[in-house]
Amino acid sequence: MIVKDWCSFCGECAGVCPRNLIEVKEYALVFNEGSCKECDTCIKACPVKALEKEEN
Amino acid sequence: MIETDVLVVGSGPAGSSAAKHAALSGAKVILIDKKSEIGSPKRCAEGVSKEGLKFLGIEPKIDRWAVKEIDGIRLVAPNGTDVWLNDEIELPEAGFILERKVFDKHMAMDAARAGAEIRIKTLAKGLEKRGDSFIVKCESFGELFEIKTKIVIAADGPESHIGRWAGLKTQTKAKNMESGIQFEMCNVEMEDPNVLEFYFGKVAPGGYAWIFPKENDIANVGLAVTASETDKTAFEHLVDFVTTCPATKNAQAVELNVGGDPVGGFVKNIYGDNILVVGDAAGQVNPLTGGGIISGMTCGMFAGQVAGEAIKEGNYSSKQLSKYADMCDEHMGAKMKKYLKTKEYLFSLTDDELNSIADAFQNVKFKEISTTELIKQLVKVSPKALLKLGKLF
Repeated sequence: MIVKDWCSFCGECAGVCPRNLIEVKEYALVFNEGSCKECDTCIKACPVKALEKEEN
Repeated sequence: MIETDVLVVGSGPAGSSAAKHAALSGAKVILIDKKSEIGSPKRCAEGVSKEGLKFLGIEPKIDRWAVKEIDGIRLVAPNGTDVWLNDEIELPEAGFILERKVFDKHMAMDAARAGAEIRIKTLAKGLEKRGDSFIVKCESFGELFEIKTKIVIAADGPESHIGRWAGLKTQTKAKNMESGIQFEMCNVEMEDPNVLEFYFGKVAPGGYAWIFPKENDIANVGLAVTASETDKTAFEHLVDFVTTCPATKNAQAVELNVGGDPVGGFVKNIYGDNILVVGDAAGQVNPLTGGGIISGMTCGMFAGQVAGEAIKEGNYSSKQLSKYADMCDEHMGAKMKKYLKTKEYLFSLTDDELNSIADAFQNVKFKEISTTELIKQLVKVSPKALLKLGKLF
C-alpha cells in the first residue's frame, strides 16, 4: 500500500479493515500485506484519499 | 515483566475516565497512549452536554478546557430554511464547547491524581491470553516489552484493535463509519455565535455538516459523510460547504482535523473474560449526532468501577464483568436506539422533504409540541416523509 504524505494517521482505515491488518502508529501506518485480501475497504474509507494500491 | 491490576489502552476521555474510576476503587492502574501529546490532534467538534458533565461529577473549567457555553441549536435545511431550538428542551451535545487538546490532558491528569500511572508514546501491538490475565505487547521508542494485567480496558478508539484481538466483534462496518473532516476557522460570521448549527441534505450525504462556535468569530466547521453514499471525499465536500455557506464565505482555516466516527450504535460484545471495551472502540457514540465524549466517559466510568470491584473480589470473569454492559445499557441503551432510528429517518429524507419539513416547523415551539401534533404537522407537509417514519418506529 502506498501511504501518501498527507495522511494524518486518523486510523479510519484501520477501523474499517475487516481483517484488522492496519497498525496505526503516531506518525506511521503499518500494513500486514501478507494477509490482505485486497478488498479496498480502507482505500474507499479514507477521508482524504491518502491510500493507493501498489501496482504489481 | 510489568504487572498491574488494570491496563487501560488509550487516553482519550473514555480511557482516562475508566482509569480514574478504576484507580479510585483502589486498583493498580496503568494508562498507556501511543501519542506524544494526549488530546492532540483532536478528531472532534468538541460539543458536550451540561447534564453529561454533571453526571460525571466534572466541574467545567471555563476559559481553561471549556471555551464556550451554548444555549441552543439551529437546524438548516438544504434551501436555507432554518429551525431554532433553545436549551429548554434536551439537546444532545449542546452545553459547552471544549478545547479538547486541554480537556483530554486534564482528564488524564485526573486519572493520575487518582493514582493511575500514565505512559505516553506507548503503543499496544498485540495481546495474548495467559491463564487468568492478558499479556499486552507494547512498544515505546523502539523498545518492545510486555505488560501483564488482570483486566485490560480497551479504549483504543474507532480502530478497536484490542477488542478484536481478544476475539470480540468490535469492528465497525464501513457503512457505519462516518468520515469526519473539519476546519477550525476564524472570520466565521454566524447568525448567533451561541448556538450550534447543523446543515442537512446533499451537503453531506449520509451525515451532516456543522458549525460549532468556540469564540466570537472562531468555530469548528466540519462535516461527516458515509463513504458509500458519495463519490467525493469528505474533504471535497467540506471545501464545497465552506465556499457556499454564508457563514464561512470569509472564513480562514487554521487547523484541519480528520477521523472516522463509528455511528452504528453500541457494539454488542463489550466485555469478556479479563476485558472491557469503552468509548469509540465500543461504538459508544450518539448515532444521530456522532457525539461520543459524554457517552464514552460515562461508560468509561462504569467500566472503571466494575473493573475496580472485580479486582477487589479477585474475579475477572466475563460473568463478573457483564455488570458493565448492564450499566451502560440501563443508562443509555434505550436513548441510543431512539437516536439510531431518528438518524435512519433523517438520512432517508430527500432535500425537498427536508425543506418542506423545516418550513412547517419554522415557528413551532418545540417545548410544547406533543407527538400527535408532530405527526399532524408531518402529514400536512409530506405524507411520504411520514410513511418513512412509520416504517421505522
